[in-house]
Amino acid sequence: MSTSDPHHGNPGGAKPAAPAAPRGYKRSWKNLLINKRYQLRFTLFMVGVSALLISGLGWLVMGKADDATNVAIGRIRGESCPELPDVASSANQAAPAPAPTLAPTPTPAGSGDDGGRRVQIDESSLTLRPVTPNDYSERVAARWACELDQAARIRELTAGRMRILYVLVATGVLLVLGLVIYGIVLTHRVAGPLFKVGLYLTKMRDGRYDKVYDLRKGDQLIDFYEHFKSAHAGVVGLERSDVERLRGVLAAADKADLASKSPEVAAALTELRGILARKEKSLE
Amino acid sequence: MSNDVPTATLVKDGKVPGDVPPRPGARSKHKRRLANYLINKGLQLRYVVRVLVLSALIAGALGWMIYQQEHQASEDLVAGLADLTQKDEGLADFEQKIAEDLRARDRTLVLEMAGLGVSLVLILSLYLVFMTHKVAGPLFKVSHYFDDMAAGRIGPVTSLRKGDMLQDFFASFRESHDAVRKRLTVDADAMQRLVDAARAAGVTSGTAAGDEIEALAKHVERRRQALR
Repeated sequence: MSTSDPHHGNPGGAKPAAPAAPRGYKRSWKNLLINKRYQLRFTLFMVGVSALLISGLGWLVMGKADDATNVAIGRIRGESCPELPDVASSANQAAPAPAPTLAPTPTPAGSGDDGGRRVQIDESSLTLRPVTPNDYSERVAARWACELDQAARIRELTAGRMRILYVLVATGVLLVLGLVIYGIVLTHRVAGPLFKVGLYLTKMRDGRYDKVYDLRKGDQLIDFYEHFKSAHAGVVGLERSDVERLRGVLAAADKADLASKSPEVAAALTELRGILARKEKSLE
Repeated sequence: MSNDVPTATLVKDGKVPGDVPPRPGARSKHKRRLANYLINKGLQLRYVVRVLVLSALIAGALGWMIYQQEHQASEDLVAGLADLTQKDEGLADFEQKIAEDLRARDRTLVLEMAGLGVSLVLILSLYLVFMTHKVAGPLFKVSHYFDDMAAGRIGPVTSLRKGDMLQDFFASFRESHDAVRKRLTVDADAMQRLVDAARAAGVTSGTAAGDEIEALAKHVERRRQALR
């Protein structure tokens, strides 16, 4: 954690303010990443686990979806559509096939009935032309309607498979994004107090013992922070006891003119005056 | 949260196995123990539970989708088979057999997925406890040093264990702790110099200045004990 980083001077309001300053600090999105190493490590772990789960299980889902789609498609393809009416089996093979929309031709004179199959005789060329049955167009239409219906159902199944894929990908992306934000906010509530303690520690290192303020609402590590406050108070207590003792000694030394006793005493008193001044300043 | 860091009552005989430096003197090299992995239950379990709930939700939702797809495929197969066999009554037994087999496979799939989910929860829980321990450990150690400082004891600080997180924070703490300790040591030395010089100059107790010097000597002695 870069406690001495000037850019982190106020991580979401963590910087201790002057004693009289208002304390209504709020979190800011800019300061969410206080302790990058710790926060990103925990967040990325959570995101990584989720991404692995989604990828692995998503792959299984897609495998099963493929199976289900293939089975369903196979079943559809296995369904039999109405047969097209056979109009040419007994007719002259050279005769042109009738158009599906051809209306049934009335049997002219001279035409024969060949076991239920009707033909038309072209007297000029002496060829037989098959005559389509009465329900020919309905049966052709039913055939093609069935095939079109099958194709549509197959398309729908394929589209359904793709929908599953899209839902999986979209869920994965949304989840990862959500987790990144959630993880950073979550870890921020731990990193924030640590950062704040770090700032006070830096001041203590430099010999400044400012007042320690409370954490923000929602922060974690409250007990840890209480331990720190006690530690800070303990060190301040040590400094205060030094100040009191030095004040007493220096006042008595001045009164008894101890400095005149020896150069060593004078030098020691001068040094202690400097220390006293420094300690008093650190406690201001 | 009221249970972020264990209180000092957890410290037994001045130490918690694997984590707290004994006093006085240098601490031995501590190693992690399985029993101590949940140092800070509140902090660790909160993270573990959150990740587990999330993983369970993802695994549950996708598992349900897998089952749905598998079940759909089975039903399609059974239906297709029924279409085929309805024309031939001799195949009815075969159809029944296949349908039962497919249902058994669906049930096996559910069991396999449940087993996978339980394994995932166990492995993930253990890993997360280990991982959060690496954060809770340093926090516990620092809070112990804070307790010492609160009691006016500024002894030496030992390093974190290998693999611990929050190394930067700990370095910052150690730097401050050492600076405070050094400053107090230097101050105590300066006070001791006055005591020695005054005694050498014949300042003895019985006078106001002499009593102050003796009181200062005792103060320095107490401070030196606190700095050990």
